[in-house]
Amino acid sequence: MRALTFGGGVLLLALIAAFPFLVNGYWLSVGVLAMFYAIVTASWALLAGYAGQFSFGHMAFVSLGAYTSGLLVKWFEIPVPLGIAAGVIMCGVVGSGVGFVGLRMRGPYLALFTVAFSEVLRIIFVSEVEITGGSGGLEVTPLFRTRSDMPFYYLGVILLAASLAIMQALVASRWGLFFRAIRENEDAAATAGVKVLRFRVLAFAIASAFAGLGGGFFGHYVGILTPDIGSVDQMGLVVAMAVIGGAESIVAATVGALGLEFLVEALRSYGQWRLVLFGALLLLTMRFARNGLLALGWTQVERFDPVRRMRRIIREAGE
Amino acid sequence: MTDYLLIQALNGLTIGIIYAVIAAGLTVIFSILKIVNFAHGEFYMMGGYFAYFAISLFSIPPLAAVLVAMLVSFALCVLAERTLLTPLYSPATERKGDYGILVTFGISIFLRNLALIIYGPYPLRPPSFFTGALIAGPFIMTWDRVFAGGAGIVMLIGLVVFLHRTPWGEALNAVSQSRESAAIVGINDQRFYMLAFGLGGALAGGAGALVGPIYSLSPSMGLIPDTQAFAIVILGGMGSVAGSILAGLLIGISESMFVALFPDPSRSLTYAQAFSLVILMIVLLVRPTGLFGRATTAME
Repeated sequence: MRALTFGGGVLLLALIAAFPFLVNGYWLSVGVLAMFYAIVTASWALLAGYAGQFSFGHMAFVSLGAYTSGLLVKWFEIPVPLGIAAGVIMCGVVGSGVGFVGLRMRGPYLALFTVAFSEVLRIIFVSEVEITGGSGGLEVTPLFRTRSDMPFYYLGVILLAASLAIMQALVASRWGLFFRAIRENEDAAATAGVKVLRFRVLAFAIASAFAGLGGGFFGHYVGILTPDIGSVDQMGLVVAMAVIGGAESIVAATVGALGLEFLVEALRSYGQWRLVLFGALLLLTMRFARNGLLALGWTQVERFDPVRRMRRIIREAGE
Repeated sequence: MTDYLLIQALNGLTIGIIYAVIAAGLTVIFSILKIVNFAHGEFYMMGGYFAYFAISLFSIPPLAAVLVAMLVSFALCVLAERTLLTPLYSPATERKGDYGILVTFGISIFLRNLALIIYGPYPLRPPSFFTGALIAGPFIMTWDRVFAGGAGIVMLIGLVVFLHRTPWGEALNAVSQSRESAAIVGINDQRFYMLAFGLGGALAGGAGALVGPIYSLSPSMGLIPDTQAFAIVILGGMGSVAGSILAGLLIGISESMFVALFPDPSRSLTYAQAFSLVILMIVLLVRPTGLFGRATTAME
């Protein structure tokens, strides 16, 4: 079994590395966007699934990171990576600000506050036409001046891998335990000595910084930014990706994002039906398989694999 | 200028009444199901379209179409509640608050994009209830606005009477106070979750039908009134219908004053949308329990 897992892992890595050579330019660009959505979705899962803070303003941080970087590069002609870094810092700072003022709010109140924050930011980006170009869009310097999307793809893979590694290390650490304790019961966590305020703000800052990273990458890839990236429908797409994959696991959310982004493009000819489909899929997942389709599939695999099944029974008996 | 401001204030008053109707629906749902309904604006939008199609497809007169819209919205909401919200009442469901947020958010995404396909992105305008305008001295107000305001008041009075003077209303009140105690005195709580969610949706749908001839209908029309209704509900204190009505008027009037007084007219309309959002944020920050609300914001 272990050899099988190892072999599967090597095969997956080879597939990811060889992906640009296997597909045409269109699907390669889909691959790049999938990396963007995966980073954003994973960081939302960190914030909502692990830390239990339901923010519907995550895409606002994506657009904040993208616009910050795009505008800085345009005005001050700083190198693009520096601009992206500035966007990440900006999102971390604003994110900790929102996390801090959101400390008084729980559950739906925080969700409401972040929806409002997100829409206000979008309206500002739409209205301040002289600075942001409004709905017409802001032209952003591309990161690589190449015809092919290949460098973007590999950079996206690296960024995603790095983000996942950092987030996984985070949730596996004591901090991750604190996040989950706060999610389950804030008062109990505080009684047990978790510094609830500090870790709630921290979760917000970290997740927002990753959203800003995704946004910077996205902006300097597509080359033209519109305020639509921060819309509630985009947020809905990311929420659907996370929930369908499994919002309580960063890896499951990532797989959900990758899978759904390819599904989005495969269904391109169905146009607007896609968001309806994902809305329905989100509802069905919430209703019948709340831990996500990946977890559901995994239990089915376990059911048919006698070794895993035995192990699970032993583990549960141990608990 | 003062005439203009007065007209704006009157317009704000009628819109405030409509907001109050939407917010009262949200309040009913919140106080019984203990969830914040993120799909409320979409029920409002659907109500507007139901009225439009009742008029254009079945040639139902505009006045009756408002009632049809409310009935269909009621049915839609009961369907949504039975299929998706029943886990909220089961003790086996963990973190019900989170479930409520995500499911109603999912319903809103689903309905808004479904509406975009079925109805198309272009604004539709249903026929007027009454053509022409009420002119009294310097004041001009279209009859549609007058009617919308009047019908909104009727709906609000009807709701208050229903909640306080009928056995079903009393049962709703009992369930909102304690599910267990209500069950002990023989109230079938499942029926009243259905009733509350349907009633809330019918109010939103009725508001959408009233607004149709004043503004136009579009699939995204629910986004902003949704947050406006939230601002009103929180300002009025969660669960207080009277508070919602007062806060609705307050926000409606101050919003149209904002549009009238904003220095840059080219931006006043887009920033008017941000106005209620900012109000909501300020309310959540400064006084999350509302003007007449309880001491904590945690949902029990």
